[in-house]
Amino acid sequence: MLESAELYFNADHGYLEGLVRGFKAGLLTQQDYINLVQCETLEDLKIHLQTTDYGNFLANQPNPLTASIIDTEMRKKLCREFEYFRNHSLEPLSTFLTYMKCSYMIDNVILLMNGALQKKSVKEILVKCHPLGRFTEMEAVNIAETPSDLFHAILVETPLAPFFQDCMSENTLDELNIEILRNKLYKSYIEAFYKFCKNHGDVTAEIMCPILEFEADRRAFIITLNSFGTELSKEDRETLYPTCGKLYPEGLRLLAQAEDFEQMKSVADHYGVYKPLFEAIGDGSGGKTLEDVFYEREVQMNVLAFNRQFHYGVFYAYTKLKEQEMRNVVWIAECISQRHRTKINSYIPIL
Amino acid sequence: MGSLFRSETMCLAQLFLQSGTAYECLSALGEKGLVQFRDLNQNVSSFQRKFVGEVKRCEELERILAYLVQEINRANIPLPEGETSPLAPPLKQVLEMQEQLQKLEVELREVTKNKEKLRKNLLELIEYTHMLRVTKTFVKRNVEFEPTYEEFPPLESDSLLDCSCMQRLGAKLGFVSGLINQGKVEAFEKMLWRVCKGYTIVTYAELDEPLEDPETGQVIKWYVFLISFWGEQIGHKVKKICDCYHCHVYPYPNTAEERREIQEGLNTRIQDLYTVLHKTEDYLRQVLCKAAESVYSRVIQVKKMKAIYHMLNMCSFDVTNKCLIAEVWCPQAELHELRRALEEGSRESGATIPSFMNTIPTKETPPTLIRTNKFTEGFQNIVDAYGVGSYREVNPALFTIITFPFLFAVMFGDLGHGFVMFLFALLLVLNEDHPRLSQSQEIIRMFFNGRYILLLMGLFSVYTGLIYNDCFSKSVNLFGSGWNVSAMYSSSHSAAEQKKMVLWNDSVVRHNRVLQLDPSVPGVFRGPYPLGIDPIWNLATNRLTFLNSFKMKMSVILGIIHMTFGVILGIFNHLHFRKKFNIYLVSVPELLFMLCMFGYLIFMIVYKWLVYSAETSRVAPSILIEFINMFLFPASETSGLYTGQEHVQRLLLVITALSVPVLFLGKPLFLWWLHNGRSCFGVSRSGYTLVRKDSEEEVSLLGRQDIEEGNNQMEDGRREVTCEEFNFGEILMTQVIHSIEYCLGCISNTASYLRLWALSLAHAQLSDVLWAMLMRVGLRVDTIYGVFLLLPVMALFAVLTIFILLIMEGLSAFLHAIRLHWVEFQNKFYIGAGTKFVPFSFRLLSSKFTDNVA
Repeated sequence: MLESAELYFNADHGYLEGLVRGFKAGLLTQQDYINLVQCETLEDLKIHLQTTDYGNFLANQPNPLTASIIDTEMRKKLCREFEYFRNHSLEPLSTFLTYMKCSYMIDNVILLMNGALQKKSVKEILVKCHPLGRFTEMEAVNIAETPSDLFHAILVETPLAPFFQDCMSENTLDELNIEILRNKLYKSYIEAFYKFCKNHGDVTAEIMCPILEFEADRRAFIITLNSFGTELSKEDRETLYPTCGKLYPEGLRLLAQAEDFEQMKSVADHYGVYKPLFEAIGDGSGGKTLEDVFYEREVQMNVLAFNRQFHYGVFYAYTKLKEQEMRNVVWIAECISQRHRTKINSYIPIL
Repeated sequence: MGSLFRSETMCLAQLFLQSGTAYECLSALGEKGLVQFRDLNQNVSSFQRKFVGEVKRCEELERILAYLVQEINRANIPLPEGETSPLAPPLKQVLEMQEQLQKLEVELREVTKNKEKLRKNLLELIEYTHMLRVTKTFVKRNVEFEPTYEEFPPLESDSLLDCSCMQRLGAKLGFVSGLINQGKVEAFEKMLWRVCKGYTIVTYAELDEPLEDPETGQVIKWYVFLISFWGEQIGHKVKKICDCYHCHVYPYPNTAEERREIQEGLNTRIQDLYTVLHKTEDYLRQVLCKAAESVYSRVIQVKKMKAIYHMLNMCSFDVTNKCLIAEVWCPQAELHELRRALEEGSRESGATIPSFMNTIPTKETPPTLIRTNKFTEGFQNIVDAYGVGSYREVNPALFTIITFPFLFAVMFGDLGHGFVMFLFALLLVLNEDHPRLSQSQEIIRMFFNGRYILLLMGLFSVYTGLIYNDCFSKSVNLFGSGWNVSAMYSSSHSAAEQKKMVLWNDSVVRHNRVLQLDPSVPGVFRGPYPLGIDPIWNLATNRLTFLNSFKMKMSVILGIIHMTFGVILGIFNHLHFRKKFNIYLVSVPELLFMLCMFGYLIFMIVYKWLVYSAETSRVAPSILIEFINMFLFPASETSGLYTGQEHVQRLLLVITALSVPVLFLGKPLFLWWLHNGRSCFGVSRSGYTLVRKDSEEEVSLLGRQDIEEGNNQMEDGRREVTCEEFNFGEILMTQVIHSIEYCLGCISNTASYLRLWALSLAHAQLSDVLWAMLMRVGLRVDTIYGVFLLLPVMALFAVLTIFILLIMEGLSAFLHAIRLHWVEFQNKFYIGAGTKFVPFSFRLLSSKFTDNVA
């Protein structure tokens, strides 16, 4: 990028950046969480959320309230905000936002294909799809029988098309293949996104690259963890790892050879960033899970992204933080509705 | 009613509301708007409060009402807005009302649902007929364009030559037809092509009339399409794609006969549906009309109810849980009103034990209440925008009523412009009851709210315009000028006089471009003009020099008077808050500092005006030099203004110099001495010495505080008593900063008042330029053309006068007047650290539907 990028940043994206920073200030605070945890019923939760930036977003919902209604409404709210950003953005921010959308689109496509495999109706699955990743062609996904079919017939005109280059095969789509397809798509997506941020340069690269590196490594760990005890071969497993993280290349090769959790942990021990994370995992009951630890680290990175100005990372960070917040609220809501109060405090605090 | 000089005395009252009557009592209080509630449950989160269930119920009612209003608006039924506002509903009626509303909602939802269903049905049928009509032409056309079919490899082209052949192939040939959203056509066709690899034919045509989308209710353009395909497999795919693009698919009739039958069937069904729909709509309208009658009062009632419960949430329960305790701020003068309201509330609910109240002493600062009317409101707003006054301090708004328009007018002084402004404000004032004005847009509303300020500003501008003798930059000769030109001619004087003075003769008049009138020639200056500036100055070339000198001196004089007045108001504050020492140690040195320097300057100006006449003006000393010399003690003696001037000036300077250390150190040292004195004598000796040492007020104040503290401990222990710690360093710092600010401020603020001169000069010059550029040009042209030219020139002149001179210049003068009040005047005495008294009053609730729907 030219040196003058920062000069024009405010003219092009200043409004949206201001907006997103304002939205970030509206995230639930520690005090809010303390109050939420004290709620007895979901009605109380609703009343408390009314005093926050959520406002009366549940006002027109008929009783009784459920956690899933809260979830959908919160998602809708986030989606409204995101669409507003996207509709008012200029290049290259709009490309950046499209990239952000892609991950949700991949999830939706996979969700729909799984649904088709289990012979569920499209309408039923559509409700579960994330509104951020919604696109018109999505509903026709179940026509396709092989990945290349899927590409040629349906997704060729969507932003997802470029990520298909690695996964064109004629295999029929069974459950394992769908999972492989998802991971391959995600791999090429995250690599493309990484490349985009890197090429953009400037503060955006400085902020976004570490976040995406972490995201890639997290996926590598999770894939490894999930592949234990499945028929996935080690070579196949290695092809699924995104190659833009800090683990690339030695770490990934070692991970590919890992056979249980302990071996995975010893791989992580070579990296200063991941060692403390793995050490923070509690054993057995009560402690934190690997997922929680990763979420906490992600939140931390996203919060730090707001410390710098003139970059697009704030949009990514805000969306991720909001997602985390939604997960927290839904968690608390679930705990309240199931009267399972012992675990109510294990949400991920947003600093 | 309370005075505008100080805010009203407040007292903290405790209301003991019997739990059965609390609602009625608060309803009565809300109607009157007497008291401000204090939140006693600040650390309780909103959902844990006592009346949260009731608030929730109110919200539910609001939701239903919002739905009703939305439906009524959609049906275009006028909503009557009642004039009177109904009381909050009695508790017994609330349940009834809730039931009624819920029943109404259920009914309404059902009817609307039915209606929507019918509409959707109807829409589908209409779409079907449209589709049939359009696709009929497709088949015909397909026959005409044979080559389309030749592209299909598995079929011989000749077998498809006519319609009958197609029927023979019917087993293999499938049709899907329907309607698709205009925007999706292209993507739809592309995907069809990609998925079915060309084994389909798509024909489509735009529908000539737009139809409503049954899902979103928008009216959009549609396309009718017909897909013909071969084979079951592809058929499935095509159907899925149609689903994906939300097409409305309808069965496609294979024969012409079938088509006709369907068409006929459809037509009759559409007719039936129309009648049913019509009846449903009629019924819905009836229901809505009935609901619309009461909906306004219901909305207000629910709002009031919700407000009452919010206030009840601020109260705390007593130990026995039998009554609610509320703490309220109430103006002292209205305590009996408060009592009456409580009685009324108790009576209404028919409670056996009445609710009662008692006042409790407190050390907390009460909120500030200054009652305003429509005239004083605008001025109070100017002051409040700077800061709401501290409790019981002198309210500058009272003086602002006169000084603000006056200072504005000094800058805006023009008879004509002022009169136009006055007329505009008068128009607003006379029509203030007009409903359109009070509900108008933001900018007009701003003018409307400041109409009385504008009125006074206009009036004062007329006055200063008369003083400046400016009317649209021209002077008005009302009384005849005091100068006589003919007296300057040599012929009108005797020969002896002619020698002494420079007089005019014919050659002088003929050859000089500029002539000078000499006031010392007898008969030339016949005494001052009765009001303001002599109109002859309008012709003079040295007019600006003359006016500048006059306006500059005037603005300094006005400024110093204004600031001195501010310091004097400070004395009233000290007297009221019983800090007499502040008068001697702060206000008096401040006054001396100001008056000995700048008061003396004013004296010199006025003295020079009075003492020197036209004859002696040549020997008059310059005030500027004299004033500078006052501080520099020059070695060379100049002839001063008066004898003994030097000594007077020395004396004044000494006083000024002495007042500075008093200002800096007086108050901190005194407080320190007071503090130490109290601590050494208070323990060892009796109170008698105390009385002798401290001023009487101080002791009486102390005594009162002691009593209050005792009361506090008895009545409620949770109220914190903040005992101020004596910190000498802090007091010294504050006083030093204040003093430095004041001393420097005296100089810079005086200079700041020169803006009066600058802006009035700018205004006069600008209007002069406008006249010279436009009107003079228009007036110079000879009569015949001039008439045609003058009309547009006049129009342009009027427009520019209004926009530049009235609005733009007026705004700038307004801003500067505000600044002079906020910065130069109010910082002499006004603290403005109070909080506004916001009573719990139903009148503050908005009575609009719009808020409610949004």
